[in-house]
Amino acid sequence: MDIVIVGFGTVGQGVAEALSRKAPTLQSAFKEKLRVVGVFDSKSYDVSPKGLDPREVAGRKQKLGRVGPELNGKGVLEILEEVDYDVMVEVTPTNIKDSEPGFSNMMFALSSGRDVVTANKGPLALKFKELSRTAEKNGGRLRFEASVGGATPVINLSREILMGERILSIRGIVNGTCNFILNRMKDEGLPFDQALREAQEMGYAERDPSYDIDGIDSAAKAAILANAIFRRDVTFHDVRRTGIRGVSLEAVELAAEERKVVRLIAEVSESRLEVSPRLVPIGHPLAIGGTLNIFQLMTDLAGDITVAGHGAGKMETASAILSDIVALLKEDCASRKKEA
Amino acid sequence: MRVHADLRLKDVPGQLVRALEPISTSEGNIVGVVHHHDAVIGGRITVNVTFEVKSQKQLERILADWKERDVDVARLSSMFETFEFEYLIVGDIPPAELRELTDGIESMEDLDAVDIRYSVSPATGEKAAMIFGKVKQKSAMGRVEDFLRQRSMQAGFLLISGLGD
Repeated sequence: MDIVIVGFGTVGQGVAEALSRKAPTLQSAFKEKLRVVGVFDSKSYDVSPKGLDPREVAGRKQKLGRVGPELNGKGVLEILEEVDYDVMVEVTPTNIKDSEPGFSNMMFALSSGRDVVTANKGPLALKFKELSRTAEKNGGRLRFEASVGGATPVINLSREILMGERILSIRGIVNGTCNFILNRMKDEGLPFDQALREAQEMGYAERDPSYDIDGIDSAAKAAILANAIFRRDVTFHDVRRTGIRGVSLEAVELAAEERKVVRLIAEVSESRLEVSPRLVPIGHPLAIGGTLNIFQLMTDLAGDITVAGHGAGKMETASAILSDIVALLKEDCASRKKEA
Repeated sequence: MRVHADLRLKDVPGQLVRALEPISTSEGNIVGVVHHHDAVIGGRITVNVTFEVKSQKQLERILADWKERDVDVARLSSMFETFEFEYLIVGDIPPAELRELTDGIESMEDLDAVDIRYSVSPATGEKAAMIFGKVKQKSAMGRVEDFLRQRSMQAGFLLISGLGD
């Protein structure tokens, strides 16, 4: 399996490291060579049909700020025309306004029947139908476990392991930054602004925190879950969204007196698509603290199933991407066996 | 509303069907029927019937029908299943608005109870109100939510709802 990594920021470098560490085990398990044949960042690239050493490329990026020769006005897709690969790992930054460049990159790969594994929420939250139709039409596979919940396996759990279940609804905490802020307000009695500043100082929140605290990130994830698990045809704009900006310390304290916490919850079902602060009883799984993500799936046979884990981070996101690559290897291995 | 009734029926064939008919014709839902063949009092046997109806009016129709059919009701008890709601409202909430919120909810059909807790921070003046309540029909939960959403949107309050479990 020949892989190109498009986008070589924190997540892309994490994928490179994960592939370096796990390639030998996976190669022996699936009897298939796993090679990275191309790496692209926003300014430079490196390609080799014989395979690159992903660790070496990551080292170069850290040392020189680029992965190889500069693009010099050439587009990534122009160069990719000349590269032979099977899977595109698309990990350019999320753009929730117009989904670019991720959408064009993914469409390029899927249109030619290649597989795409991505963590990029923008294209999935805005143009899911177009991407999945293109994949289906051309025989490509689109996998995106890393786009929701980071290392917490909610998409593949719902679509594959729980395939026999009817999933009635999913509720979850999908943004660790908001959870950190709300938790600090309750535990330390910090006003919202102070808890937000603390989150920014600790690197959990950006200088412009609106993407997290206004529920934009959570809404994008809710839209992806609605499309992928409930087969709805929605975009990020269809999500009823309320962020946590208006949550006051007084409100958090009043809730605590009633043994409740305030959490930003994404709720998705066939009829509901919402991100909003909710009152959660202390001791309920969704009252989880820290920066963890958690999902509660209500199913018809198994009842409630809860999964929790790290929702962001270099190696956590790389882990989810790796799980999708493994799923592709597994499918390929099964088809080879069938053909034989 | 779930109703438990002890009926005393003549110990002759066809009496049970005759007693259950008013429940089904009134679109009630029969949950269980227990015969006590061994407890014959004055030539009548006792039958416990548990059924669900949507309103008091529906129950009264069944009782009237039983009376007409000479079905003796020895004991009757009913119980409402209730659904709890809880909301936290955040913003510059004037006390008069609280009154209007509770009045609005209290005027709703199928409401069982409503309670409100109001809090103002002495340090910052921030206000928050917690509204708890119970309704007798699940559909009434949606009406409460719609009402509070609309009021909050008009007044610029943040509405935080419970999980509804």
